[in-house]
Amino acid sequence: MSATIGIIDTGRSGNTFSIKRSISLAGGKWVEVKDVQALERVDKIILPGVGAFKDAMHELTAHGLVGPLQEHMNRKPTLGICLGMQIMARIGFEHGKSEGLNIFDAEVQPLRCEGKVPHMGFNKINIVKENKILKGVENEPFYFMHSYELVNYTDIASLTSYKSHQFVSAIAKGDIFGVQFHPEKSRDAGVQIFKNFIDY
Amino acid sequence: MTLRIIAKLDVKPPFVVKPVHFEGLRKVGEPAELAYKYYQQGADEIIYIDIVSSLYQRKLLTPYIEETAEKVLVPLGVGGGVRSLDDFSNLFHSGADKVLVNTEVVQNSPDLINQAAKTFGAQSVVLNIEAKRLPTGTWECYTDCGRIRTSKDVLEWVQEAAQRGAGEIVLQSVDRDGRRLGFDLELIQKVVSLVDIPVVAASGAGSLDDILAVARIANLGGIAIASLLHYDEVTIHDIREFLRNRGVEV
Repeated sequence: MSATIGIIDTGRSGNTFSIKRSISLAGGKWVEVKDVQALERVDKIILPGVGAFKDAMHELTAHGLVGPLQEHMNRKPTLGICLGMQIMARIGFEHGKSEGLNIFDAEVQPLRCEGKVPHMGFNKINIVKENKILKGVENEPFYFMHSYELVNYTDIASLTSYKSHQFVSAIAKGDIFGVQFHPEKSRDAGVQIFKNFIDY
Repeated sequence: MTLRIIAKLDVKPPFVVKPVHFEGLRKVGEPAELAYKYYQQGADEIIYIDIVSSLYQRKLLTPYIEETAEKVLVPLGVGGGVRSLDDFSNLFHSGADKVLVNTEVVQNSPDLINQAAKTFGAQSVVLNIEAKRLPTGTWECYTDCGRIRTSKDVLEWVQEAAQRGAGEIVLQSVDRDGRRLGFDLELIQKVVSLVDIPVVAASGAGSLDDILAVARIANLGGIAIASLLHYDEVTIHDIREFLRNRGVEV
């Protein structure tokens, strides 16, 4: 029996449409997770990412999911996407300071560079530390749409350059993975990432 | 980072129509079918605008949006008659990644931009501009697909909206839309240099050379194309190749 991926879907903004479709295309099985009971039943976790840091944390708190997520992420492979990666950090500064899930030690700061912000569009990733999630997508472009970046020094899996500014575009720490880009919006290369996560 | 080539679908449910100068309409196909076709051609993004919902004060018809979202694995921007945070939320749940606003924020509630940016993040709040060039050499904001004028100055409004938290601007021109006479380069250049957020140029592509001319504007975020694609004269693949051969990174 194949593993079931739980997609955390509590927010008003959660566009999980393409994530579901990508998992299905990659041959995986998913369920929506809105509460602790549903969380208990899944084998892997995807934390999707549309919205703002503070609002997303409010939603998770309101659904009683902060503590349980921290506990389950300890033992279940997890993929955070965009904001989903960001809120796994210790602290965020979008619309005021707020605490994240503190899965890894990082801060989420405004993207400061010469280019237009949000950083929006397809861009390449430069893998600095190989991992199973980024396998087979080395030279592929991925879709980014973000105004904030993760400031982390220890668990970097890939970096991306935007107007001569380098930022963290993927992290990996044990069974925890995060990508700043949207694999579900990045054509076949994105589907490959979901496939890698299913096979993990 | 590359310049985005975006396919724009002007939808009068259940069909994509080709507005000529924002008025006469010609059916060109169904949104899901055309979105898929342009996705296959290599579109970096799809913009879906319901061109009647704002005018008729009608809710956006989400089944067509869902059907469209199901066909593509690139971002989908949706607009037309968006009036509240609930509208934003409904569209995200129907598969939209970005939501375009115009009429409501220009006419009634500019604060909706602030609220939406705070709730959903700036990256998913797109200001849709319908600019009309005035004899005075300035541009006026129009709404409801170029039917209704406001007294807002485009260059002032884009700065205000960016300040309020909009994450992107789709810049359409009432004078140029569907006419295939080339983009309003002066307007696009001005807006790109005035705001720090990405700007997508729309309205006016009549040839590959028109597209090259706008692609040469420094720091432009993307180019949205409608009619030219609907005529089946060029594909997105052709556009990309043409631009690449001339040194534009797309």
